[in-house]
Amino acid sequence: MKYKVCIIGGGIIGTAIAYFLGKLGENSVAIFEKRYLSSGATGRCGGGIRQQWSTKSNVRLAMRSVEFFKKFKEEVGMDIEYRQGGYLLLSYSEEEARQFEKNVEMQREEGLDVEILSPRMVSKRYPYINTDGLILATFCPTDGHANPHKATFGYANAAKKMGIDIYTHTEVNGIEVKNGKICGIHTSKGYFECDIVVNAAGAWSKEVGMMAGVQLPTESYRHQIFVTEPLEYFFPFMAISFSGNFYMRQALHGQFIMGQGDKDEKPGINENVTFRFEKEMARKMTKIFPFLENVRILRHWSGEYNMSPDAQPILGKSDKIDNFYYAIGFSGHGFMLAPAVGEAIAELIVFGKTIHSDISYLNTERFKKGIVQEKNVV
Amino acid sequence: MSRRVVAHPILGDLIEEEVIEFEFEGLKLKALKSDTIASALISNGIDIFGFSESGKPKGFFCAIGKCSSCLVVVDGVPNVRACITPVRDGMRVERQKGKGKPVW
Repeated sequence: MKYKVCIIGGGIIGTAIAYFLGKLGENSVAIFEKRYLSSGATGRCGGGIRQQWSTKSNVRLAMRSVEFFKKFKEEVGMDIEYRQGGYLLLSYSEEEARQFEKNVEMQREEGLDVEILSPRMVSKRYPYINTDGLILATFCPTDGHANPHKATFGYANAAKKMGIDIYTHTEVNGIEVKNGKICGIHTSKGYFECDIVVNAAGAWSKEVGMMAGVQLPTESYRHQIFVTEPLEYFFPFMAISFSGNFYMRQALHGQFIMGQGDKDEKPGINENVTFRFEKEMARKMTKIFPFLENVRILRHWSGEYNMSPDAQPILGKSDKIDNFYYAIGFSGHGFMLAPAVGEAIAELIVFGKTIHSDISYLNTERFKKGIVQEKNVV
Repeated sequence: MSRRVVAHPILGDLIEEEVIEFEFEGLKLKALKSDTIASALISNGIDIFGFSESGKPKGFFCAIGKCSSCLVVVDGVPNVRACITPVRDGMRVERQKGKGKPVW
């Protein structure tokens, strides 16, 4: 069996790339997923779609993605519960608050509508938020959230309709490289010849790189998240704090989904959960969001952030193997960037260059020049 | 308290207990001190504890705090499980309609 493009990873990134390849007329494409679609970080994430970033390029990429999320239902053909309820960024440190003000200035220059709110304005507008210790908040009404499972299946189904094949429960266990070029992949369902391989393996990006003999600077870290019983839907935005280390949103059904980062996590794949997380999270969140006091935790799970050295994705082509492409290292914000990334990688494959988004600053070369950390990450 | 089992072949006879008073949908009702909200309501002949969002009646089901079928509003707090929550003197219990309203 031969495909022009083999995509490793059936998460939002792999399916988005396949979808956009199909849109550009390339349907000799197959996705290889070792478990099931959206079984990795995609299906485990909070589902936020944010444009408020600290670097210009991330803002642009996120804004491009929002354009696609807005017309997802019409263009891709699935209702993915997309709502532009906004993102409320809460800052609990003076230094971060000053950075937020600078970010907003830059975000406005990029054409993003962002408000700066004082703690008093926050409590007036959102009386159900306890503003103790809050220094400043920013709000972007066009940010939002969606259901990541549905988005993945939306892209996958649309890709299938265009003739693209999807192999689930199919593990890639080797990449055949000859004379510095990939010529095929070995999988649990046999050998597939191909012209191009795309590494969209998320948490397993480094392992997939190793299969082709390429050392990639990504590491996976566990992040935990839980969901509570539902209350009546009243909280349309995502609340997030980097200094406070949390994010929370209400799903349309009414449940609250929330998570935090953990500095003590060791790199590696770990999908277990801890009681410590439930304790810390419950204590912190009921203080800031008092209405959570009367709801119980329903489910608790974890997934991997595939971290890059600067917490920004690694996109583009390998400098060692000419037909090896990457869309990895999303550092916890792959879902929200997926449409723009899918489009860009597909353009790069079909036309040899991107047309709508500049992703050249996101190649592996950048790490040679030193690391500029994206700060807006939980 | 007509629906109580007063003599049971295994559990034995009903023990004399202090009687307390609570409120359900504005009605003053009597309960035994060791009652749960659910047992107090059932002994008073009340089987409908609330309604789903689409208006269907809900009531006692799993009896072990798992199924969310018996959720009631107690003193303004929604999502209280009637089956595992002890009734208290002066408690104000209401039927929950649909999802709980957030309180802060």
